[in-house]
Amino acid sequence: MLNDIFSRWDRPLVIATFLAVVLGILMIYSAGFDPVEQINKGFYKKQIVWFIIGIVFMVVMSVINYRHLGDYALQIYGIILFIVLLTTIFARPIRGTSAWINFGFFSIQPSEFMKLSVVILLAKYLELRERDIRNFRELIIPALIVMVPVLIILKQPDFGTAAIFIPVMFTMLFVGGADISHLVATILIAFIALFFPMLYTYWEWAGYKGSSIILQMFTHLDVLFTISAILLFIAISTFVAHFFWNQKVLRKIYIPATVISLGLMLSVVIHKWFKEYQKKRILVFLNPELDPHGSGYNIIQAKIAIGSGGFFGKGFLKGTQTQLGFLPEKTSDFIFPVISEELGFLGAMVAIALLGIILYRGIQIALSTRDKFAALLATGITAILFFHILINIGMTIGIMPVTGLPLCFFSYGGSNLFMSMIGIGILNNISMNRSYY
Amino acid sequence: MTTSLKTRMLEAFRRRMFFFLVCVATAFAILVLQIINLQLIHGREYKIKAAINMENNIPIPAARGEIYDRDFKKGISGTVLVSNRPSFNLTLVPKNFESEAQMRDVLARLAPIAEFDLETTIAEIKKSNPWERFVLKEDVAFDVVVKIASHKKFFPNIRWEDAPVRIYNYSDIFAHVIGYIGSMTKEEYNSLKEQGYKYYQVVGKTGIEKNYDKILRGEDGYIRRVVDVNNRTEGEEIGKYPIAGNNLVLTIDYEVQAAAYDALAGSTGSVIAIKPATGEIIAMVSRPGFDPNQIISKENSGIIRELLNSPEKPFLNRSIQSRYPPASTFKLVTAIAALETEKSYPDKTFYCPGKYTLKGYVDRDFYCFRAHGTLDLYRAIAESCSVYFYNLGMIVGPTMIMKYASYMGLDEPTKIDLPGELTGFVPSQRWKLKTFGQPWFDGDTVNLSIGQGFTVVTPIGLANMMCGIVNNGIVYKPYLVKEIYSPDNKTVLGKTEKEKLREIPLSPVTLNTLKQGMRYSVQNGTSALLGRLKVPAAGKTGTAQTKSNRKENVSQHAWFLGYAPFGGDVDSAVVVCVLIEYGQWGSSAAVPVAERVFSKLVELGYFATGDTTTQIK
Repeated sequence: MLNDIFSRWDRPLVIATFLAVVLGILMIYSAGFDPVEQINKGFYKKQIVWFIIGIVFMVVMSVINYRHLGDYALQIYGIILFIVLLTTIFARPIRGTSAWINFGFFSIQPSEFMKLSVVILLAKYLELRERDIRNFRELIIPALIVMVPVLIILKQPDFGTAAIFIPVMFTMLFVGGADISHLVATILIAFIALFFPMLYTYWEWAGYKGSSIILQMFTHLDVLFTISAILLFIAISTFVAHFFWNQKVLRKIYIPATVISLGLMLSVVIHKWFKEYQKKRILVFLNPELDPHGSGYNIIQAKIAIGSGGFFGKGFLKGTQTQLGFLPEKTSDFIFPVISEELGFLGAMVAIALLGIILYRGIQIALSTRDKFAALLATGITAILFFHILINIGMTIGIMPVTGLPLCFFSYGGSNLFMSMIGIGILNNISMNRSYY
Repeated sequence: MTTSLKTRMLEAFRRRMFFFLVCVATAFAILVLQIINLQLIHGREYKIKAAINMENNIPIPAARGEIYDRDFKKGISGTVLVSNRPSFNLTLVPKNFESEAQMRDVLARLAPIAEFDLETTIAEIKKSNPWERFVLKEDVAFDVVVKIASHKKFFPNIRWEDAPVRIYNYSDIFAHVIGYIGSMTKEEYNSLKEQGYKYYQVVGKTGIEKNYDKILRGEDGYIRRVVDVNNRTEGEEIGKYPIAGNNLVLTIDYEVQAAAYDALAGSTGSVIAIKPATGEIIAMVSRPGFDPNQIISKENSGIIRELLNSPEKPFLNRSIQSRYPPASTFKLVTAIAALETEKSYPDKTFYCPGKYTLKGYVDRDFYCFRAHGTLDLYRAIAESCSVYFYNLGMIVGPTMIMKYASYMGLDEPTKIDLPGELTGFVPSQRWKLKTFGQPWFDGDTVNLSIGQGFTVVTPIGLANMMCGIVNNGIVYKPYLVKEIYSPDNKTVLGKTEKEKLREIPLSPVTLNTLKQGMRYSVQNGTSALLGRLKVPAAGKTGTAQTKSNRKENVSQHAWFLGYAPFGGDVDSAVVVCVLIEYGQWGSSAAVPVAERVFSKLVELGYFATGDTTTQIK
């Protein structure tokens, strides 16, 4: 059977994965090296151990037929959700977040595995409901599957991990055949719900005195609520009218009216329920420059590290931003700036290329399999990896909000590496079995 | 499920997967573009930012140039007026310590040695930026640094930096001329930063220190420190060695300066001794003085406030920054005007009954301090007879007197190499009309001719005028810095050449009359005290009436303006100008001061005498 694996494995996928993790380990070595005391903090050794264990996971996942994952999707989901819940309630907070289970010499972050289990369950659900998925009601279950763990993880609180579920869910629903207007409507509602409270908080914070009366009007809760109520009334009356007088034009009225009305209603709720510091935190998340001493400082230093690397880089172990400690979290969230500083544009492009190969293979595998579950599973895993990469690298180069998301394969940390390598194992498995189904 | 539905769904799936692929590709393209933007397009800027991050340079102060008196010669040590004392600053960066407890430990050990108060210092450190270097104690002696250095392990993270302290060796004697240094004010920094001045540097605040700041200051060096994010040193090297400032040799003779300052003891006033042949200033003192060493010391605020609030204005360099009516010394100008315009002649006599009556709608009497009887111009200058000059002034007329006062440079700056020079003032008919709304009266002319009324002069302006008379009409710019030496005194970098300020075409008759009149003043007139000198001197006293009644009974400023040797070599001549505020009489207050200055000059051999054994300076 092993022989079988080694003859039919997905070479580009696995080789790119290995190279990425090895490059990551090298950079973790560099980032952990203390030039004054001439010692290394030893993160790289642990990462090598995680890598070896990760390989085992990958091989195991390549061997066990992925269809078993579908069979046990609910059980896997339930068990991991339970562990995440227990962690959230009982774990001793590390840097203010109750996300880790401590085993003494190492700790595990169950929410990383939650990502995979959500993808597996969603894939299974979407496979089962393939024909009905265009119905809006069929989206309630997927939303529940995602929102329950998201709310628990938000409680930890781990904003970054929680946030990653949302785009992954939308990607899977989109590929899984959901009605695009449903997805757009949902996104619109969320946008409207967040826009007005944020705008108001931002104005308050920046001391902006709006000259536009119309914009100012929207910052008053009663105005928002009134508009929302009027729209809701219009929506309901047109909806009722729709029963008696079946005209398509009515749909064009009550659907947007409902969307805007719900968005405004939610925005009133958010405005009332969210505390000021919570709203400010979201604003800083969206624009780190609002907080130049906090997350803004990290981004400035990361950009200096990347930019100063130039084309060829400063050389291995020679990055001043890395070695002199100006770069924060350099082994985990900010590993990409380390690569860019020490190995320059060339190194950064090698890393990007490796990640690109992995994602491209992921999409190819999803397209090549004839099994709907496998296709959705591959899409979900690829989406997890993609959004990690996009948000992480985007954050370090200053075009994405600041979140505590690691760069898959490169960042130090066992849980994320296990999750990523299990994901690769599943992809490999689908790739090997694609002709059977 | 029909096949067609299955196919349709598969097609939809592929379309949507393709869309996802396009999204991924677009996202990667954006990432790559931004990386290109950062690394390739703006790489140079970020390299500079990275360098700024890790460099935290410590300045190495340049030794400020020393200042010597005129006797300083290459290789031979002269009188050092200003020098520098080695001293150190103890500094630390709070974040370098592992903990606040460790810092407290170290400071507790250090406090008794370096003599600072532990609790106050810790409180101040807590208020400061923990990443920045904090100056723990300034002006720490060398032996303290040796102690710390030899027990370095007990004093981790304590650094010492060179911070030489300026010493003004003769404190108040040179206070006004040399001035002092100090931290820059905001305004000074704003105007000087373009020239490379750094906010932490000191700058000359007044006097020579200010005027020659660029020559004295040198260039600070720095230690290039590579630091980590906690400002811990990763490595350091000398980035640039400091370049010491150049030394200055003054034209001032320490001995004369000290004698003049002594002679002024107890009074408020100024003494200037200047060589008319070149413009070199031999002495320039102002009383009351102050001690620049106190001004530059750290605990100076009380002293400065006290000095600033003192009614006697000790910071004022009265020689150049204070204006007084020239009084009888101005009679020389009236005489010049009369002789040059040929409205009168030296032997012309007037009768002095002790007063002069100005005829008019109402007759007004102008008094002389005594009845002199009949006298000519020589005796009038010698006796300082006001009635003679009232008459002369009326003959010549105000316009010509004013014109000659201007010719003599009384309303022009002397351009001396000191900051803040004031200029004297000579009135005009137009000025009076504009200021008081009144025309010029004959009474004003009477006052003008004896230097009362509106005319005011600075001591340096008056001295400069005398230089013109002694030097037969040629006036040189007065100056204080003779030579500029390299820091090791081995090379002369610059030498001040005499610079002609103006040439007044005075006739020999005029010059002769003035000099003879002033000589008589010494021989048998208001300056008779100078007759004792071993050098033939000549001079003119003055007693300026002021409206102030600050000192009871005494409301007159005393002047003496003279030179020596009379009839001798102009090259060896020295002009002395003495002003004593509220000194009552020129002859009783100012002349004794001049006498002591001249005596010192004689003693030092300034004047060429018959035998050539005495060195001419």
